Formats: sequence, structure tokens, C-alpha cells
Amino acid sequence: MVTIENVSKTFSTPSGQVQALKDVSLTVKTGEFVSIIGKSGSGKSTLLSILGALDNPSTGSIIVDDMQINKLSGAKQTQYRANKIGFVFQQYNLVPNLTALENVMLALEFGGYPSNSRFDRATQLLESVGIEEDQRQRRPTRLSGGQQQRVSIARALANRPAYILADEPTGNLDSATGKKIFDLLHDLSRSQQTTIIVVTHDLEIAGKTDKTFTLKDGKITTV
Amino acid sequence: MNVVTRGIKNAVRSPLKSGAIVLMFAISIALILSMLVARGSVLAKIEEVKATAGTAITIQPAGVMGNMGGGDPLTTTQIASITSTPNVSSIISTLTDQLGTDDTNLTSSLELGSFGQRQQRFETPDTTATPTDSEATARPAPTPRTSVTGTTDVNSIATDGGDLTISSGETIDGTSGDAVALVGSDLAAKNSLAIGSTFTAYGETITVKGIYTTGNAFQDSGIIMPITTLQTLTDQAGAVSSVTATINSSDNVAAAVTALETSLGDNADITSQAESAATSVESLQGIAGLTTTGVIAAAGAGALIIVLSMFLVVRERRREIGVIKAIGGSNRKVITQFIVEGLTITVIGAVIGLVLGVLVSGPMTTSLVTSSASSSSTSEAAGGPGGRGMGGPGGAFNQGAAQLDTNLTQVTASLTPQIFTLAVGITLLIALLGSAIPAWLTARIRPAEVLRTE
Repeated sequence: MVTIENVSKTFSTPSGQVQALKDVSLTVKTGEFVSIIGKSGSGKSTLLSILGALDNPSTGSIIVDDMQINKLSGAKQTQYRANKIGFVFQQYNLVPNLTALENVMLALEFGGYPSNSRFDRATQLLESVGIEEDQRQRRPTRLSGGQQQRVSIARALANRPAYILADEPTGNLDSATGKKIFDLLHDLSRSQQTTIIVVTHDLEIAGKTDKTFTLKDGKITTV
Repeated sequence: MNVVTRGIKNAVRSPLKSGAIVLMFAISIALILSMLVARGSVLAKIEEVKATAGTAITIQPAGVMGNMGGGDPLTTTQIASITSTPNVSSIISTLTDQLGTDDTNLTSSLELGSFGQRQQRFETPDTTATPTDSEATARPAPTPRTSVTGTTDVNSIATDGGDLTISSGETIDGTSGDAVALVGSDLAAKNSLAIGSTFTAYGETITVKGIYTTGNAFQDSGIIMPITTLQTLTDQAGAVSSVTATINSSDNVAAAVTALETSLGDNADITSQAESAATSVESLQGIAGLTTTGVIAAAGAGALIIVLSMFLVVRERRREIGVIKAIGGSNRKVITQFIVEGLTITVIGAVIGLVLGVLVSGPMTTSLVTSSASSSSTSEAAGGPGGRGMGGPGGAFNQGAAQLDTNLTQVTASLTPQIFTLAVGITLLIALLGSAIPAWLTARIRPAEVLRTE
């Protein structure tokens, strides 16, 4: 379970202090498929970064499975990301000089997966997200946006994380491909009891999730 | 694929960029190696010059230089005094003389020329002629003479500081009293002398044991005998016209000179090669300093190339680092990957640089030392009295100076294991620091910050 209590986040910019999150509190139960919606600049991605320990809040606490992650050391946070979190980014963020297979194997390496079974596990994951055999040895630049996002999801699932944090996973895809990606995530949450938190501005997608939080100017306005 | 394989693969992901970095680094490595080799060779040569030329002291009877001047030869007592002087490890005694047409049946192989005629213009007139005879006051027609050197060590005649080159026959024992001689190649050719031939000198028959060559026309027109033989033939028992004393250490040369000056007083002129050697090695020391600066500058340039290149590489891959950290990659993994990448580029550059360095270090060292020796020779030729222009036949000091020059130009570039290890060590250190520092600086930034700003 994820519990966010009174989280605020302030950034220092050349034009002054910017408060991205203001006293945000919410709870997500294990296995839920949750969406966070809001306009651009409302603080959605910042909230997701803090949930994934990519950043620390200025104030407040984030408790994930009874562990206050914002109090962990940098090394422990890295370990937390490797073992408990799977990220899916809008820009896919695959390592450009690695093949689709190697990108998935990279996550397995960081998660401490035995080296002799990484290949099989990565192959199985890519197969499960619909990446064909001939596409697995391709670098990201030789894959379509939808294929890259599928590889990204396979990478996110590599270490069987308890939580998948997806930041606009369909934002760069056409509607048909976006729907397929969403369905893939939805199926995962159902089949593997993975908690999925999706940041989106697509109300249609948000409407299909178990719970939707709306952020406006850094504050939760509706649940 | 592990972190090492990934790092190696990353190193060649952009061949053009990596190639440019490798080339620049290779050039700096080649320079480092060349400078280290040059420095090592020059320092070794300085030590060699100090250890050999710098420890010789020449003692001649006061007023004598070669066959010029006047005075009494050194006596047996004086020789004994020299030998027993503290720190004198060995001595070479030499007695020189000239054979005129009345002294030998040999024909000199030297043309007298205007220089030789001028040297003989003070010859004693024929005392048997009557004073009124107009021819009585006329000096005898000058004739070229043959120089003869008696020495305890025939190798002291060599002009290159090494052993005397015997072109045929065998060498002779300088400490014997046999009626034997080594004949210069020019003199032998002029008189059709071969091994076993005999000639007359001072009324005695001398057997040719060997023919030597030095490449010096004056020396190759002379005769070398055991010193005792020449002393006997010239009726100068125990007489010595020059002694070259070798001191056990260059540090003791000054003390030995002082001791000899005290014991021999005004009866001898003492010349140390230490000053000459110091002047000669000055330019080498300048080169050694220059190469040290060169090593530092090339190492600095190499380090800068790697550091700046890796800074640029890391800078343009900040987002990738952010992603790696986001999916669970530790700082250690990130830094290790970039170190491996930097090391791969560095090792490729270093190998190319080492090959280049080995190829250019020899000619570079030779070029540096040859130009230095040339300028040194020029300054010596323009120098005052005591230069080689004053050298008479058998002048040991002049041979020492010739040896110095030869040594200076004989520096050979050598790549010792120590120099190689030092070069590799510097290279690896540059690679480690050059890649670890920028990777560490980027890895410690929070992933969200990198992903947000890139």
C-alpha cells in the first residue's frame, strides 16, 4: 500500500521558488489501477517522481509497504527502485545503444537477477508484450513508438515490481496503439496484482482505472 | 551483458567521435613516451659522461703540450707520487717523440705543408759549416717527421674513447720492453709495411706487430711502442711526457687535483676534464629539463583531452544516466561503466600512442642530442687556449675531449621497462580520473533532476 501524507515540493528556479506540490495526501491500495490526471504543470509528474524515489519531497512523507522511502539513503532508494518499482516513461527512455533485449536485461542486472537466466527472462517478457523475435535484437531507433513503449513496459516488469509508475505512457502514441498499451497495463494489474499508478491527461484512459486523482496547481482536488 | 561489456560497447558507439579522441590521446601518449625516453637516455648519458670523462686528470711536465713547449719530462719519482695519490685508481703514462730522416728508414706519410714548414723554421743551423760560408747560415730543408708514442696502454691513442682499432695483426703490450710497434695505417701504406715487417728507429730494428687505424690522419701516420721501449731507444729511462690519471669517482676529482698540485708543485701542469665535462653536460641537462617539462605538458594535455572528452560524453548522456538510475542502477554501476568506457578509449589510444612513441622517440632523442652536441662543439672551437687546436701528437687531454664529443653524439634512445611502466601508469591514472570524475559528478545528481531538465 502507498500512503502519501502532506507532501509538498518546491523547486528553485532562476525566476524564484516554484511550489509544484502543495500538501498532497492520498492512499493507493495494493493491486489498484490508479490514474492521476491534471493539466500540464499541475504537478502530476513530480508526484510520480517522488513516489518512485527519483526525487525527495520538501516536506511530508511517502510510505510504501510500511517503509518511509523519503527517509532512505540514496543507495537504499536505488535498491527500492530496482526491486519494487517499474517505470514507464512518456519518452520511453530506452538506452539507445542497447537492443530491445539488452534494455530488458539491463533492468534484470540491476535487480540482481542471475546472469545465466537473464536472457530467457528478457525474451519471455518481450514475447509477453508482443515484441516479435526479429525486433528483439533491434536498437530503439529501429522500433516504432508503440514497440518502444512495449519494450519499456517489459523492462518495467523485469524484476516483478510491486508497483508500476507510468508517466503519460500513451502520450506519444496514436490512439489505437495507446489503447493497446493501456490494455496491456490493465491486464497486468489484473493478472499479476501489480499496483499501477498512471499519470495521464487522457480522461478516457482515466475513466477505465479503479481510482482517479485530479491535481490542480499542486493540490489534489478530486478523488 | 555486464557493466564491462556495456562500457566497451559504449566506447565504440560513435566511431568518429571516439576515433578523434583516440587520435588526440595517442599523440599525447607518443609525446609522453618520446620525452620519457629522451629524458632517460640523456640522464644516462650525463651519468656516463660524468663517470668516464669527468674522472680523468691529465698531468704534463710544466710548459709541455704534446711535442710543443719545453721543460723536463716527469720522473719516476713523480710518477710514483701520482700513482700513490689518494683516489687515483689507475694511470696511463705516455712518452712522445718524433723521428726525423736520420732516426728512421721510414718515410713520413704526412705532407709537411706550410704549417709544418712554419713549425720547423727555428731549426738549428748546420754547425759543421764555416761561419763565412753563405750556406752555413741557411737552415736545412724542412722534412716531415714521424711521430712515435710510447705508452703503457695503446688504447689511449684511440680518438673515440674506446679501444684502438687494429685493422690487421695484433695489439702490443704497453708495459713490455720489446722492440715491437703498432704502425698507423697511412704510414704502413706509405712504406709498404705489413705484419712482421721491420723498420729502423734510433738505430734499432723494430718489428711491426699490428696496423691500427683511428680515422685521424695525424694518428694514422704515427707509431706506437711500449713506453719502456721508447724510453730505452731515446735514452730517457723513466721519462714520461704525459700521464692520464683516472680518479675513482667524479666526486673526488677536485680533491685529487688539489693533492697532485701539492705534491708536484710547479713542475707539472694539471688539467682536469671535470670542468670540460661539466660544460659539455650543461646542454644535456638543459635537454633533460626540457624533456621533463615536455612530459608534464604532454601528460597534462593527455589528461585534459580525456577529462574534457569524458565530460562531454557524460554531459550528452545525462539522460541515459538518469534512466539507468531510475531503473535501479547504482552510482557505482554508472561510474564503473564510464570508467570502462574511458579506459577502453584510453587503452586503444595508448597502444597507438606507444607504437607511435617507439617509432619517433629514437629519432627525436638523437635529433635533440645531436643539435646539442653541435652547439657544444661550436662553442668549444671558439674557446680560448686549451682547446683541441693546441693538441700536439699524443695529447691525452685532446683524446678525452674527442671522447666527450663522441659520447655526446652517441646517445641512443632506449625504452627501459621502468620508462614503459611509468608511461602506462600515467596513462591509466589519466583514464581513471578522467572518466570517473565526470561520471561521479553526474551520478550523484538525483535522477528526477536529470530526467526533468534533459
